[in-house]
Amino acid sequence: MSRLLNRERAAIAANLTPMIDVTFLLIVFFVLVSQIVEVENVDLELPRPQEPASVLPGEAQRIVINVIPAPDGRAGAYRMGGRTFSADTEGLAALGASLAGRYRDNPALRVNLRADRATHYRWVEPVFRAVSAAARLSGRDDVEGRINLVVVKEP
Amino acid sequence: MIDVVFLLLVYFMAATEFKLGEEIYRLDLPQRGQADPFDLPRDPLRIIVTSSGPDGYTLRLSGPAQLGPDADFGQLYELLRESRRSEAAAGGLLDADHPLIVEPGAGARWEHAMEAFNAAVRARYTNVTFAPPG
Repeated sequence: MSRLLNRERAAIAANLTPMIDVTFLLIVFFVLVSQIVEVENVDLELPRPQEPASVLPGEAQRIVINVIPAPDGRAGAYRMGGRTFSADTEGLAALGASLAGRYRDNPALRVNLRADRATHYRWVEPVFRAVSAAARLSGRDDVEGRINLVVVKEP
Repeated sequence: MIDVVFLLLVYFMAATEFKLGEEIYRLDLPQRGQADPFDLPRDPLRIIVTSSGPDGYTLRLSGPAQLGPDADFGQLYELLRESRRSEAAAGGLLDADHPLIVEPGAGARWEHAMEAFNAAVRARYTNVTFAPPG
């Protein structure tokens, strides 16, 4: 009996180790995600169609081409994977050649096209031709040559 | 240390810009392969889009069915849906895989081109493409 009474009370303390582990994982996640967003996505006013029939992008590996807007509906440049290409014939040829190299490595690569809603179509359509040319330049028959047109779906 | 870790977590959560709500339309570009020799050519239905002013636009169709002069994208969708042959709409003339070409004019804005494309996809046409700029 005396032995029971003399026992020290058990201390109640939270184990912080799993919480710190989870917190570090969250930090790593946010660091990686924020870098990807910064490199791939330019801040654009994407089209917002009424009652869109769009679908969620799949899990396939993809590369993003941004059409950088300029005044009067023109395109200032095209950006892909952190590289900027001028909005002229030479820039589009360089864009096609760069994409062709990516297609050689990964023929299943998807291309997401992001363009500002105010940009005129004649500055967006050259990207279609550049992607077609890249599929041809890659020399691979298994390149699908498909573009994903990115829009914003209203919540 | 845990304080610093929490501060870092809050910073990255606040600084991260998520692109929520972005969705896609799949657009098949012309293939390099040869066309099927047994495939009969079909006259594509062209949707001609022109933009005017900051938000104005006009829509025209190349086929027999015509839109009114002030037609909007909702009316375009209704017309395309009624024109598609299906079990529900027996009077439709076009198959779901009938070629539809969105033909934006020289100064057409991307948002108007995408609205027309959306109307066609929403009406459940499966063969929708873009024409070179007019």
